Amino acid sequence: MTTKTAFATAGLAALLLSGTALAGGYPDLAPLPPVSSPADNPTTPEKVELGRKLFWDGRLSGNGSMACVACHRPDLGWGTGGAISLGYPGTQHWRKSQTILNSAYYNKLFWDGASTSLENQASAAAAGAIAGNGDDAMMEMRLRVVPEYVTAFKQVFGTEWPNIDDAWKAIAAFQRTIVTDAAKVPFDRFTKGDATAISDDAKRGLDLFKGKAGCISCHNGTLLSDQKFYDTGVPDNPVFQSDPVFQITLRWQHYQKGVSEQYYRTGTTDDGLYYVTLNPQDKGKFRTPSLREIGWTGPYMHNGVFDTLEQVVDFYDKGGGEARSGTKVLKPLGLSEQERKDLLAFLGTLSMEQQLLMADPALPESKPLPRPGAASNQSPAVTPASSHQHPLHPMPVTAPAQKKD
Amino acid sequence: MRHFRHVRHAAGDPMPKTSRLPLKVGTAALAAALLLALSPAARSEDKADPFAPLPEAPKINEARAKLGEKLFFDPRLSGDTQHSCSSCHDPAKGWGDGQALSMGYTGVEYFRNAPPLFNVAGRKYLMWDGRLDGADLGTLVRDMLTEAHTMNADTRMVQERLKQVPEYVELFDKGFGGDPYGGKIYGAVAEYLKTIRTTNAPFDRHLKGDKKALNEAQARGMKLFAGKAGCASCHNGPLLTDQSLHALGVAENPMIDADAARQTTMLRHFATMGTPNYMNLRDDVGNYVVSKDSKDLGKFITPSLWDIGQTAPYMHNGTLPNLEAVINFYNQGGGTHPNKDERLKPLNLSKKEKADLAAFLKSLTGDKPTVAKPALPEYGLRTVGKN
Repeated sequence: MTTKTAFATAGLAALLLSGTALAGGYPDLAPLPPVSSPADNPTTPEKVELGRKLFWDGRLSGNGSMACVACHRPDLGWGTGGAISLGYPGTQHWRKSQTILNSAYYNKLFWDGASTSLENQASAAAAGAIAGNGDDAMMEMRLRVVPEYVTAFKQVFGTEWPNIDDAWKAIAAFQRTIVTDAAKVPFDRFTKGDATAISDDAKRGLDLFKGKAGCISCHNGTLLSDQKFYDTGVPDNPVFQSDPVFQITLRWQHYQKGVSEQYYRTGTTDDGLYYVTLNPQDKGKFRTPSLREIGWTGPYMHNGVFDTLEQVVDFYDKGGGEARSGTKVLKPLGLSEQERKDLLAFLGTLSMEQQLLMADPALPESKPLPRPGAASNQSPAVTPASSHQHPLHPMPVTAPAQKKD
Repeated sequence: MRHFRHVRHAAGDPMPKTSRLPLKVGTAALAAALLLALSPAARSEDKADPFAPLPEAPKINEARAKLGEKLFFDPRLSGDTQHSCSSCHDPAKGWGDGQALSMGYTGVEYFRNAPPLFNVAGRKYLMWDGRLDGADLGTLVRDMLTEAHTMNADTRMVQERLKQVPEYVELFDKGFGGDPYGGKIYGAVAEYLKTIRTTNAPFDRHLKGDKKALNEAQARGMKLFAGKAGCASCHNGPLLTDQSLHALGVAENPMIDADAARQTTMLRHFATMGTPNYMNLRDDVGNYVVSKDSKDLGKFITPSLWDIGQTAPYMHNGTLPNLEAVINFYNQGGGTHPNKDERLKPLNLSKKEKADLAAFLKSLTGDKPTVAKPALPEYGLRTVGKN
């Protein structure tokens, strides 16, 4: 099935959600198709290699040390491994850092879908005050004093000097390569015909997933996400009640997102999709995350409130939480102990058996531009700062480090 | 001078209304042009007194200034909470940072000298390249808070940080009424800037009638300053500046050519100002970024000389480490630049004359500021509905 038809079928899935029928009608759970790239940013090996360096390069941030990789670390499931992401030094982020893995397949990015392309998402994260806090003109000029980048941008984009928008394109192209390898995923081997790839427990879990537990009504298709937005009533992360810096961030978000003054003064929670649409019916809605690589990407939910998949299953078994709208989209499932175990066994088959790790690339050095007409090669090189350390982070990282099974 | 939008000195005019000067600030440009036309011989016969005592202290809103003082020292006004205004404008270092080229924001190296803030309230232009209107200190503060090379803050974030500090909420309410807000933040710091003044400088005492304020060497230096050395042709009036822009041919600071980080901030500044051909510029083009007129290449504002003894190193790029080097620079007729001010000619000062001039310059320096970093109030938890 192509990605396009999968998206088309997602509309049907939403229709079904409001009805009672859960069996059938959902896009197939199947291995991911090859990644496609947008017409205005075709993927090439040179672009990917440039993007890989830029992903690691702190020059693309305000203080020179908050590269993309700072909050999307390969060894932490391409996230931070914590409940809520780090945030730029002196600030605190407000949501969990989402994995880069398979982000290529989403039609919208960020938990609230505020961004419609990887290119746009990279730019927004690099500039945002609680993420990269970078100034486009400064980041661009930093790239222009790196001879290796000047050459690479010229080769890849054909420009005399690196342009910052092309940096986001290269990073997006790189991210389109950070995808699941179906051969390493037990469930994908199973769907391709290897009946021994998953256990009997997991097979029963699959039936529950598609049936009694109803997971498939949102987690369907090759991505195991319908890419739609729901309010499942995930509880607030209590840190927003106890830590002033989190409270600052929440209010800052509300201020800059253009909510009403009344809402700005009284809002105490993250209302997700509402900030994009400003439609009150969208309060508390977040995009269904993919369940692929779920074993590497805990903790879970937009605010990381659940440390383990057991907690997630319990949450859904109870019928989710208090929805902002007051109307529950979820119902208690009445799963037995064995059923919960089976479901967890199935969830355990959705990740690659080895993490997709990647070594830090060597970052090219800055070098002052020679005076026009002057012989080059006479200026001392300056070594860039280490790209993902936070030597100046003054705030304790309040989210506890998560141990994964 | 052309190209500058607002030239106003109505409210809080730093000039005494009954000035004994021919050089009213409003006509400084004209006066400078007149002086330009005068030969050194004619100038020495000029009876006009180029000097005036420091202007009276501007009226201060105490509540705002008190709040502004805390904010001036508070690093929460920067993007990463590591830099306050005082990081680069340290009262202990003449309200500068003592470096030839200022350090700038984290991960950044700046390309100009951090200017001292003494008497900053009385300026026609602000910034070395004259890109900001001196009558609008609030905009200066906003520029410093938000610029990527200085404090790199999202001021909405700064606003929310301050709203999280109960003491600030109170002080803003007292000073302005209502919540902390961008414009009030800039206004409070601007009010504090108005309090930063030269105090007790011997030459100011002299101008105010204290006959014993200057020693003999200083008195001789004063005559040289106004006469043979020609300093007063630009450094005149109550702030010892003609509030204008000139090219002197100060040598480029080699640290910019040698350091990609400094070159980055310079070229980025040129780029953001819409400067033509910015990628091929290697010299600091000064006021050219404002006017885009090649006649303004290399022009920088005339700095005030008050408190000059506290503000080394000198010039827009800090390339002259001490006053002796400055005197030697002018004695040789300045540097080399196509737009160099025609008045700069070798002065042929004797060793004694140079010493007298240096002695006079020292009389421009007042007391060291006694300001200490105030205790900064802490964050509290939010009262929902209130903040």
